[in-house]
Amino acid sequence: MDDIITINLWQFAIVYAVLIVILIIMKKCNVKKTKLLFIASLRMTVQLVLAGLVLTFILDNQHWGFTVGYLILMTGFAIGMVLWRNKTLNLKFKFIIASSLAVTGLAMVTFFVIAIVGADFFDARYTIPLAGMIIGNAMTGLTLGLRSFREQLKSNKAQIEALINIGATPKKILIPFVNRGIETAILPSLQSMLGMGIISLPGMMTGQILSGTSPQTAILYQIAILITISGVVALSVFLSLFLGYRTLYNKRCQIAS
Amino acid sequence: MFTLKKVNFIDLISYPDLTIEKRKASFIIGESGTGKSTLLKLLNGTVSATSGEIFYNGENIENLDPVELRREVLLAGQNAYLFDRTIEENFDTFYKYRDLLPLENEKKTQYLKTLCVPFELDAQCSILSGGEKQRVFIAICLSFNPKVLLLDEPTSALDDATAHNVIKSVKEYCKKNDITLIIVSHSKEIIETHADVIIKLTANKKMSIRNEK
Repeated sequence: MDDIITINLWQFAIVYAVLIVILIIMKKCNVKKTKLLFIASLRMTVQLVLAGLVLTFILDNQHWGFTVGYLILMTGFAIGMVLWRNKTLNLKFKFIIASSLAVTGLAMVTFFVIAIVGADFFDARYTIPLAGMIIGNAMTGLTLGLRSFREQLKSNKAQIEALINIGATPKKILIPFVNRGIETAILPSLQSMLGMGIISLPGMMTGQILSGTSPQTAILYQIAILITISGVVALSVFLSLFLGYRTLYNKRCQIAS
Repeated sequence: MFTLKKVNFIDLISYPDLTIEKRKASFIIGESGTGKSTLLKLLNGTVSATSGEIFYNGENIENLDPVELRREVLLAGQNAYLFDRTIEENFDTFYKYRDLLPLENEKKTQYLKTLCVPFELDAQCSILSGGEKQRVFIAICLSFNPKVLLLDEPTSALDDATAHNVIKSVKEYCKKNDITLIIVSHSKEIIETHADVIIKLTANKKMSIRNEK
């Protein structure tokens, strides 16, 4: 394998010129999101620089405590992001979402690092980047699934009310919305599998190839991570919605509005 | 059949103590905000009283299975809901939600006739008018043969003549099948013509019950 070409900082800075192109298009098309473009680019840069610094420190000073601490922080942020978008849910539902994300996310990271890669769980080099992909995707899947579930509840209020009034059980009424929420969350992962290798070379594989790993190894990692991501999305959304929907009605089978 | 004792709903509505009789057509009237629709919801347990007690056949409804109660005391709410499917499929879908086998088509047609909507079963519900939808929905509710049928403004989208025919036909069916009918209505003519009992709710918790027949 060739040596890795390190990007020169000045050359790297050129990529920000692409942002100007985006800005021009946004102005031209009257997309009033200039502030968002500016904040998102700045936040991404600052967050990634900080992550880079922290990761460099952790990799240079390997200690199980750093790995565990990083995982806790990552999971906490992911939970925070999901809950922030679902502020109006009841406390019990929020607790179920947080637990589902934490339990399934960390279980899948453990499974991947130990069973698939065969690495030490506390080895930051493997656990942290893999956890980022797994927990990050679980967060996105959960956000999608919850949004779909809640939008359906909102747009089908009349249906829910009519069915409750005639004596249908809350389970029978709400389960179809749970199922559709799970479907909405899983579909993007499954569809991205379809185009893999032909339409796109995924980020993890590209990164590994760029850093000198053989494509054969990169492919194995990629296939394993894609299946794991689909699994974590399915599990976290299933647990959140399947356990969470029960918090929407009380012992008298009255559905909270 | 129903007895209300010191019933209060989230400190907004206080109901007078009242009794609703079996096998009669009781009409609930009153100005907006007096809690007519809420009373129907309280009776079939889709909302609970904040304080006070409601008895159904002598049993406090809070002690009854809520789903079983709603199947016996069925509420056809103000906003009739139908799925964007055919009338036949709507019957079948509601029956599925109630864990029941589909009703025979002949009977479906019969219930539609009772509600004065003699449409073909394969008619799409999306093309029905508001009043037609309401009647198809009530036909489905009636077909469950509940012990008490609660109707919230069932004739609000109908002209006077159709409204009279619908209420007359539903009342006859209920009498024949021992179904107690409780209706919230604003139509004076309908009430005067069809009510066995009129229960008037007022904002100041006073109430008058008038036995018409």
